[in-house]
Amino acid sequence: MKLKKIWLIPMIIILVSVNCMNVSANSNVPYQTYNYDFWNDIYYTPAAYIPNGNISGVELGTTNFVTPQDMFVAEDGRVYIADTGNNRIVVLTSDMKLEKVIDSFPYQDGTSTFNVPSGICVTNNNDIYIADTDNLRVVALHEDGSLLKIIEKPTSEVLGSDFVFSPLKVTVDYAGRVYVIAKNMFRGIMAFDADTNFTGFSGTINVTITAYDKLWRKLSTKAQRQRQIQFIPTEFTGVDMAPDGFVYATNIDSQAQQSIRRLNPKGQDVIKKKDTLSGDLYNTLSGEYAGPSRIVDIVYRGNGIYSVVDYTRGRIFTYDDEGNLLYIFGGKGSQEGTFKNPVAIEVKDDQILVLDATRGEIMSFVATQYGNLINQAVSLRYDGDEASAVKLWKQVLTLDSNFEFAYVGIGKSYLAAGENKKAMEYLKLGMNREYYSIAFKRYRDDFLKGNLAYIFTGGLIIVIALFVRSRVKKRRLKGVDEDE
Amino acid sequence: MKMSKKEKLLYPFYVISHPFDGFYEMRHREKGSVPVALLLIFLFGLSFSLNRRYASFVVNLTNPRSVNTETELIGVFVAVLLFATANWSITCLMEGEGRFKDILTVIGYSMLPMVLTYIPVTIISWLVAADEEGIYFLLINISMIFFVILLLIGIMIIHNFSFGKTIVTLVLTLVALLLIIFVVLLVISLINQVWQFLNSAYTELILRT
Repeated sequence: MKLKKIWLIPMIIILVSVNCMNVSANSNVPYQTYNYDFWNDIYYTPAAYIPNGNISGVELGTTNFVTPQDMFVAEDGRVYIADTGNNRIVVLTSDMKLEKVIDSFPYQDGTSTFNVPSGICVTNNNDIYIADTDNLRVVALHEDGSLLKIIEKPTSEVLGSDFVFSPLKVTVDYAGRVYVIAKNMFRGIMAFDADTNFTGFSGTINVTITAYDKLWRKLSTKAQRQRQIQFIPTEFTGVDMAPDGFVYATNIDSQAQQSIRRLNPKGQDVIKKKDTLSGDLYNTLSGEYAGPSRIVDIVYRGNGIYSVVDYTRGRIFTYDDEGNLLYIFGGKGSQEGTFKNPVAIEVKDDQILVLDATRGEIMSFVATQYGNLINQAVSLRYDGDEASAVKLWKQVLTLDSNFEFAYVGIGKSYLAAGENKKAMEYLKLGMNREYYSIAFKRYRDDFLKGNLAYIFTGGLIIVIALFVRSRVKKRRLKGVDEDE
Repeated sequence: MKMSKKEKLLYPFYVISHPFDGFYEMRHREKGSVPVALLLIFLFGLSFSLNRRYASFVVNLTNPRSVNTETELIGVFVAVLLFATANWSITCLMEGEGRFKDILTVIGYSMLPMVLTYIPVTIISWLVAADEEGIYFLLINISMIFFVILLLIGIMIIHNFSFGKTIVTLVLTLVALLLIIFVVLLVISLINQVWQFLNSAYTELILRT
């Protein structure tokens, strides 16, 4: 008897503490985690990612970062930070220890330094590309710090003579083509080939002028027209390179329609989107966090998943290859895990790293069980293995029963397995009209096929019954006639 | 000649199949009934709301959380009363013969086709897939067009108007409708201001001691 009670005590402690841990893991985050349902209503979700500590320059054993603008995680796990205000590049080892600081490089019998380096990209063989903004050039260095090449202002008739080439962000594809976002360049991302020749613009955003705007411009005088805002395309803010050579780029969209682009090697936008692709669907017009989301950087995370970071409200939005919003987390503030001025987002192993320019820190986030399950399920679906994704989707639903995308995933796999009734149930919960209709048609056909005999028999019985009834009525009338 | 209860309830069916005779007898032989008309309006509001809530999501993109039968019923009644009042005020001036209760009865009885279709189409919507939704919208549209035609005929007959004059009065009815809404809003805001004045005067007096 006593022995039993003694066994109970540790059991209770474990149960209670496990419960507490779950609660603290999911609700003690300094930001709101939510998503949008089929009707674009907000619903709150468990946290997909939770804060996992900050790293500042001092903690790394060097001076503090001053308005760092970009960060890159290389293939081998090393982290490169463009420490813009200190005119240097800080390189961390894959376990986040200081490896070296690059503040100059040998150039033409001497050394050359950086001036406001605000973009960085590292290739698979560790060549470092730096957007050296105020020196008006892109510098490419070897792993050992020696000069590889320099891209300076291109000479091309498509660029005006007064054009100043000040690169802000840079990315490089597997073939050594360099894509540069330059300041005040509204015609797209500038593309250079491996020999530093300018080859053209990629991803030009066209301006659309509405009929109302046209009419208004027609009616205004020349002096008025000069004072009106110009119809110029939006600027690009961040780029990332997918391994297949597609450029993921972000731009500012004041209409909150599309802030993310996926550019093919021809420079066309080929991203898939549902409705909008621009972070938050709703925003206030005034107040501290007013205005549409201002997407400043993007990271491609493999398997079609990409995350973007929003400057306005400090949120990180994660989408899959079809443009489904998977989860939202992050916020502004001064607590651990919130931002003041997020400028760059990167992925390192299973962590998401965000660089904050004002705080001069790298914030790290790790996935919760919820976030992990979604990541894995989406990856499996991307690989075409919807059947094994089902188990994960079901686990996602135990954590968040409002996640419509999970219902669709399960429904589609039931549909493939021929379980139409179950597929209908899940696809309805996932509000997917198209696939629901397919499942419903199959179910209806099966039902009709299986019950055709009964339906025909029933019809026949009714016809016979009506016939007999009319005959009986006639007979009766006749009988009455004969009686009279 | 007094109508039995059963006759009264079945008379709308006669009206929708013989609109000209039906509406004429309604006006001149007292065959219409305001309670039956109100019942039909109520049933329309109910079936409309049920359709919004229960039609399959294949054809229905309404968020079920936004459906409130009470407000929808009140909305239908307010719309009907507004239309009837506006029409009555216009036709009075244009030598229409219809009384207010006739107009109300015409509107109510004309709604019968919609009352009869909305619930069956809701059931049909459960049996259609995404590319077969045409039949659902066809039925809904037919019932709505039927309603409009019945309303036109009804207004024409009870006021003893020509077709052209009916159209003119209907256009004027819409204008009157807007005027009524405008005046009502004006009155509400006036009352609000008076109330605020009294309220602040009261507060002033209370704090003056």
